[in-house]
Amino acid sequence: MERWFSWAPPDREALATLVLSLKIGENHLREMMDWLEEIALRDGKSIQDILADRPIYDASTDPRLGRADRLKRVKEQLRRRRYPRLAQTEDQIRTQISALKLHPEIHLSVVPGLEGGQLKVEFQSGSMAELRAVVAKLSEVVSLRPTAAIFELLSGEIGQAQI
Amino acid sequence: MNRFVPDELVVERGSESSSVFNNLRSTLPQVPVKIVEEVHFAATDGRTVDQFGTAKRRLFLTRHKGEFFKKCPGSDGQVCCNYFVINFASNCPMDCSYCYLQEYLSDNASLKVFSNIGDLIDEADRTLRKHRGHFFRIGTGEITDSLALEPYTGIVRELIPYFAEQPNVLLELKTKSDCVDTLLDLDPKGRIVVAWSMNPQPVIERDEHGTASFAERLTAARRCQQAGYRLGFHFDPMIEYSGWENDYESMIEEIFASLDWRKFSWLSLGVLRETPGLKRVIRQRFPRTRLLAGEQVHCPDGKLRYFQPQRIQMYRKMVQWIRQFAPTVQIYLCMESKEVWQQVFGFAPACEKELGNQLAPLA
Repeated sequence: MERWFSWAPPDREALATLVLSLKIGENHLREMMDWLEEIALRDGKSIQDILADRPIYDASTDPRLGRADRLKRVKEQLRRRRYPRLAQTEDQIRTQISALKLHPEIHLSVVPGLEGGQLKVEFQSGSMAELRAVVAKLSEVVSLRPTAAIFELLSGEIGQAQI
Repeated sequence: MNRFVPDELVVERGSESSSVFNNLRSTLPQVPVKIVEEVHFAATDGRTVDQFGTAKRRLFLTRHKGEFFKKCPGSDGQVCCNYFVINFASNCPMDCSYCYLQEYLSDNASLKVFSNIGDLIDEADRTLRKHRGHFFRIGTGEITDSLALEPYTGIVRELIPYFAEQPNVLLELKTKSDCVDTLLDLDPKGRIVVAWSMNPQPVIERDEHGTASFAERLTAARRCQQAGYRLGFHFDPMIEYSGWENDYESMIEEIFASLDWRKFSWLSLGVLRETPGLKRVIRQRFPRTRLLAGEQVHCPDGKLRYFQPQRIQMYRKMVQWIRQFAPTVQIYLCMESKEVWQQVFGFAPACEKELGNQLAPLA
């Protein structure tokens, strides 16, 4: 509360409106306040203006979504705003994973934040024949250009992967 | 660099017979002295908002009752460089926004120096003699700046003659000051490394309060090199901001244009990192700093760092700029994972001894 009171009145009101409409819990709220203050300081914008930005406002008022989903979308939009290059790299990795057109039994993912630089590979099969097929498909994936691009993105060649 | 002058010198009974006390009295004659039977490190009255900052204003002189010689704790899961530390003081008169001491010393933030330097040397001597087959890299700048108080205490001037004679040690004096005058007439005999924590001038102005400017540090380094000291540079913490590349590349160019890199012992790189607890303290003490605006994520050791692809890119650029001038100078990463080492250098030390051994023969 003390922190909230330290904000300018319009900023306080903008956050209060959001908190009440989405019933934001303490942990989510603390994280969102961190992000809002850091974005405001970095970008020289008021918190009220940040919350009024179209993607955040739309997510918070989307009538098609329930309260929990709206909160999730708002947090995702705020995170994207707070970590633009990280979000861009994560997006690029997701694009490359999609481009691989994976067998439905194979799943590739990276951890949020990309710490560790690892690509997680998961697959499942219900028979020897299925396993052979999945492994063969996985073997093909290794030699495809998007797979190399994923590792280039993970190893710091941000935006420079020859996709 | 503005010279630090404490508001008061608080001396524990018994310490007034020490050489450190005599040095303090002769170099700070205007500072009031209070002799006490026992020091109490409650540095503030509880009503002061910035307790950590306030604690830097009183200088305590006391005997150190524990061990002086310790292994550097490193950071969980990160590649360690097998470093040892000797603490002859605690806290620092400077006030960097990112300083980890703000959290590490939060229970006892008093600025203090220890009077029983003879005990320190005796303890070091026992350890160094017992392990003659081991080469020690020892630093004095873990919980204080190695040289910022030297003009008043003369402690380092007492330590150098002893460590310069030891066959199995390299003593590193790590600083952000330019307080090297008292070192220049001593013979380091190849055993003493004076090392500067370096950042471009815009970072110094924004976040390294009370430290020497970049130009002052460089001048001090040149004087030490001329006096026969080996040098080290720690580009740590590297701060990412718009235009950081130009500032850091220019800084590297200036350093290598001014000094003979073949007499460098090592360079280290490390990005800004902090625990969530330290982040809260920084936010409270330096609300306008832009340090925390970077894209930091939680790492397995509990600290926040720039996200991995970004910091790998930062390290690679720094290594590339350094290598243009000094193709063979030893560079290591401080508190980084094996994965990051691998991406930056193409290898990762198998264990802390391997990295320690790589750095030790450079004496």
